[in-house]
Amino acid sequence: MNLQQFKELCAQIEREYTDKIASAADLNAVEELRVASLGRKGALTELLKNLKDFSIEEKKEAGPLGNALKAALTQALEEKTAALSAQALNEELNRVDLDLTLPARPAAMGKRHPLSIAQKRMTDILSKLGFTWAEGPWVEDEKHNFDMLNIPKHHPARDAQDTFFAETGSPLSLVLRTHTSNVQSRFMEKHKPPIRIMAPGRVFRNDSLDATHSPVFHQIEGLYVDKNVSMADLKRDLTAFMKGLLGDKTEIRFRPSFFPFTEPSAEVDVKCVFCEGKGCPICKGTGWIEMLGSGVVNPHVLKNCGIDPEIYSGYAFGMGVERLAMMMMDINDIRTFYENDLRILNQF
Amino acid sequence: MKILQSWLQDFIDIDLTPEELAQKFTELGIEVASVEKKGADFEGVTVAQITHIENHPNSDHLHLVDLDLGGGKSQRVVCGAPNVAVGQKVPLAHVGARLGKVVLTPAKIRGVVSEGMICSSDELGLSNTRARGILVLDDNIPLGTDVRTLYGKADALFDLEITSNRPDLLSHLGVARELAVLLNKPVKMPKPQEFAGEGESLQVDIRAPQGCQRYTSRLIRGVKNAESPDFIKERLSAMGLNPKNALVDVTNYVMFELGQPLHAFDRNEIDGDTVVVRWAEKGEKFILLDGRELTLDEHALMIGDEHKATALAGIMGGQNSGIKENTTDIFIESAYFDAPTINKTSKKYGVSSDSSQRFERGADIGMTQLALKRATELFVAACGGTPSQISDVYPQPYENPVVSFTPAQINGILGTGIEEEKLKDIFSRLALHFDASGDVWSFQAPTHRRDLNHRWDLAEEAARFAGFDCIPAGQSRAFVGFTENPKGVDLLEILGDRLAGLGFYECKNIDFLGEKELQAFGFSTKNAVKIKNAMAKGWDYLRPTLLPSLLKNIAFNQSRGNHDLAFFEATRTFSLIKGFPAETYTISGVQCGQRVSVPFFKGNGDKPDFYFLKGILQAVLGSFEGVSFIPAKETPVYMHPKICMDIIVNGKKAGLFGAIHPLTLKHCGVKESEVWAFEFAVKPLEKNFSAQQFKPAKPAPTFPPSLRDLSVLVDKDVPYARLAEIVRQTALPVSVHFDLIDLYEGDRLPAGKKSVTFTLAFSAPDRTLKDTETEAAFNTLLEKLRTQAGAELR
Repeated sequence: MNLQQFKELCAQIEREYTDKIASAADLNAVEELRVASLGRKGALTELLKNLKDFSIEEKKEAGPLGNALKAALTQALEEKTAALSAQALNEELNRVDLDLTLPARPAAMGKRHPLSIAQKRMTDILSKLGFTWAEGPWVEDEKHNFDMLNIPKHHPARDAQDTFFAETGSPLSLVLRTHTSNVQSRFMEKHKPPIRIMAPGRVFRNDSLDATHSPVFHQIEGLYVDKNVSMADLKRDLTAFMKGLLGDKTEIRFRPSFFPFTEPSAEVDVKCVFCEGKGCPICKGTGWIEMLGSGVVNPHVLKNCGIDPEIYSGYAFGMGVERLAMMMMDINDIRTFYENDLRILNQF
Repeated sequence: MKILQSWLQDFIDIDLTPEELAQKFTELGIEVASVEKKGADFEGVTVAQITHIENHPNSDHLHLVDLDLGGGKSQRVVCGAPNVAVGQKVPLAHVGARLGKVVLTPAKIRGVVSEGMICSSDELGLSNTRARGILVLDDNIPLGTDVRTLYGKADALFDLEITSNRPDLLSHLGVARELAVLLNKPVKMPKPQEFAGEGESLQVDIRAPQGCQRYTSRLIRGVKNAESPDFIKERLSAMGLNPKNALVDVTNYVMFELGQPLHAFDRNEIDGDTVVVRWAEKGEKFILLDGRELTLDEHALMIGDEHKATALAGIMGGQNSGIKENTTDIFIESAYFDAPTINKTSKKYGVSSDSSQRFERGADIGMTQLALKRATELFVAACGGTPSQISDVYPQPYENPVVSFTPAQINGILGTGIEEEKLKDIFSRLALHFDASGDVWSFQAPTHRRDLNHRWDLAEEAARFAGFDCIPAGQSRAFVGFTENPKGVDLLEILGDRLAGLGFYECKNIDFLGEKELQAFGFSTKNAVKIKNAMAKGWDYLRPTLLPSLLKNIAFNQSRGNHDLAFFEATRTFSLIKGFPAETYTISGVQCGQRVSVPFFKGNGDKPDFYFLKGILQAVLGSFEGVSFIPAKETPVYMHPKICMDIIVNGKKAGLFGAIHPLTLKHCGVKESEVWAFEFAVKPLEKNFSAQQFKPAKPAPTFPPSLRDLSVLVDKDVPYARLAEIVRQTALPVSVHFDLIDLYEGDRLPAGKKSVTFTLAFSAPDRTLKDTETEAAFNTLLEKLRTQAGAELR
């Protein structure tokens, strides 16, 4: 065999096998082509055996030609193998028949209580407004729950609170706190202004349990004491609080009211979020919903806590968590919160 | 407080509709509970009788109705009421009639002109009832009668909620005074007829000056009890009282009019000529007007003569001295009693009256004379008689303090810019004395406004009368500072979120439980906080544990058809420590039924077992240093005696978990024999928690571990914890991580033995271990297990 013949055979093998590999139907056919071309007795292997008869000059030309062909065929075979494998895999995958619309395997998922969710939202907003969290006892002495807050003994304002009294070995007369305002007296007694705190938590009233009353409920208190704090500061902060809670469009208004621990006192209404103030059953046609009580901290309260009302002033507000949650979660019976029916709890 | 608009108009000229007036009250901070319109606020409506009805040609629900107007006249109108019928006498509004503010004009209704309208009671403004249809009048009323004559004059009854700081608003005069300031109108003070007075009144001896600061009184001799005049009867009826007779009614009338409670005694039941105001004697018995007998103490204030008490001062008279039909001489008391004294006594004996409610909030010490004179005038007009001179014992005339302030201070409190002229205007209308001539103003309130004691009170008045809308939203201010949440609060939040993530639903329960539950859970009533005035049996104590409530939540849910339940509660529990109440944040949880409440078509998997519960606790508490679980040393009665572990934090017991005792479940009404539960105090974890500290990370191992399984035979009663402890404590040159992968007890093993298989992962931080190193470590462990726990390689 001369070099010319070798070249022609190379070209012939290349043509033949490139076509065959390209059109191989399956992996077996590819394997057969590999054996037929590159196997021990394959066409190319046989052809390369002739190299030994060539001169050095001829080898220099024929050798690389043969090797290049071998590499090209090897690559073509590998690519074809990969392509056919992928095709086979895809065919297998496509045979999978799964009804994806069947129901999910339920994950074990619990939920926080709706009142916790509501309270968390409120404390988050107040926290962003710079209020820090303060705590106080739930079993409280009358001094901190009433006296220091300007709710004197033998005054009808004190009677109005339907107080639970606790029986303990303490020499003090203890009550279950009737409001979160005990945290005001507790905190101001121990800290100097500036003070900016929130006090969320449970409160107790000796009230019957019905659709709108519960002996246990939750309040959140806000207190800000500094130099020159006014009703206008209260209005600014409550506007921000209510916008956070009910949306950017929220408007508030103050109405005069009476609380022993604030003077002046204001009831705060928000423009009804359900009818945007047009009047609906939820706001009883008035366009406004009563949300909370507030006012400028009564100077007697500051004095009782050792803060000079001639230097400092403050505001305070208190809001019911249940009231807000009932309104926003469309719950019309307060007992719903304390029944803990799973079918309610799992909605939040 | 009920307020009648017409009565109000005795003291102030107001030209407002009831709705407008209610709006004014609201602006002033007086909540209006209800407004009831009374009487006829219409003109041009007469009685007519329906003679004929036919269908409207263009409507299937309207009718054409012919009416006889009387005097031979008739009228045809269109009517849509469902209850219209021939023969009915009805109110017919003629063209030009006025209904409230609406003037009736002819109307074309579906092509037919209607000159007039048959009215419903609503259209006449007679009631707020939603009764549908036209008003049907009595058959006996003559045709043509002006319907207005059937219902009195237009009026409105307001039910006002008066806050406890404003006792001065508990009268018509008081409300009129308030409106007068707002509307800038004069108050028409009552000017009762003056009587010269014949003879002296009784002597009054105030022996309890602290309880009674003023006592004004007089006798009226020779009265003849009679029915009250109509205006008194009508007004008292409107206030919700049944008129009785003039001697009784007048005292009530004057109280509602002027706010001053009066008491009329039968003179002939008073022994001697002296009325005594004194403290009760301890143990003194007294029978009230309503027949109740009280045993009093020395804090109760009494009215009486030298021998006996005749009234519980300011609250209620006695049975022995009340006015009777044949009473001829009356003694009228118009006094001022100390507010706390009246409040204390009223509350202590559970006796309350219109009188005590005014005194305990604070009456007007300046009103006693005027009220007495007004009552005299009314008594004499109704019952005749001769008034005596007035006796007025008022040793220390009361004056409100003078408040000094600057207008800037008022605006400072409010954050407003109310002009000085406006402030002057408001304060001068409110004040008894007001001086704004200098930079510092001075203000003294009249006696009926004891609530105006300092500039903050005046700031509120300024805002109320200028309108609360004058308060702007202020400019923003600097931030106060940063303080971390209390640790307990953060922990409650974090642990609660973890539990929710693990499938537990948060519950909230009322904090009360009863003695029976305390006992069933082995808690002593001595260490629980008791509520003196519990509202119901079974709600006498504050919870020392949350588990009873959670088990009741399970029972409740089972009754509602929910059986697969996982609940937790995170709140305070209460106990007494040396008699003092202690409050701790506690987290408790219960689980029963399947892990997931929603059925799944491939099945819900295994029911949770004890190790599931342990896994929950590990997931919740595992990130805290110093937390471990050990089999309970002492198992409380409410837990399964063999399935209960203690939660140890920093070497001390902080809680427990395990199975609830089946008898406890039964006690709580739970229909399930297996309930998993846990309860722990949060406080001990606080030591190992700080929101400000981040946990430092250990690098993840770079070199792969060498794995070996180790299977040993040990005695059955060797607990797993012992083996784990040996592995953990064995000193090795390499580190080892181990997991239990098999536990076998059975026939194929020698009696009393169990097989325990660990998978061990040996590693070093800086290299891949050689086989010899792994082998050596493995053998060291095996040797320790052999010598310390009698383990044999299997």
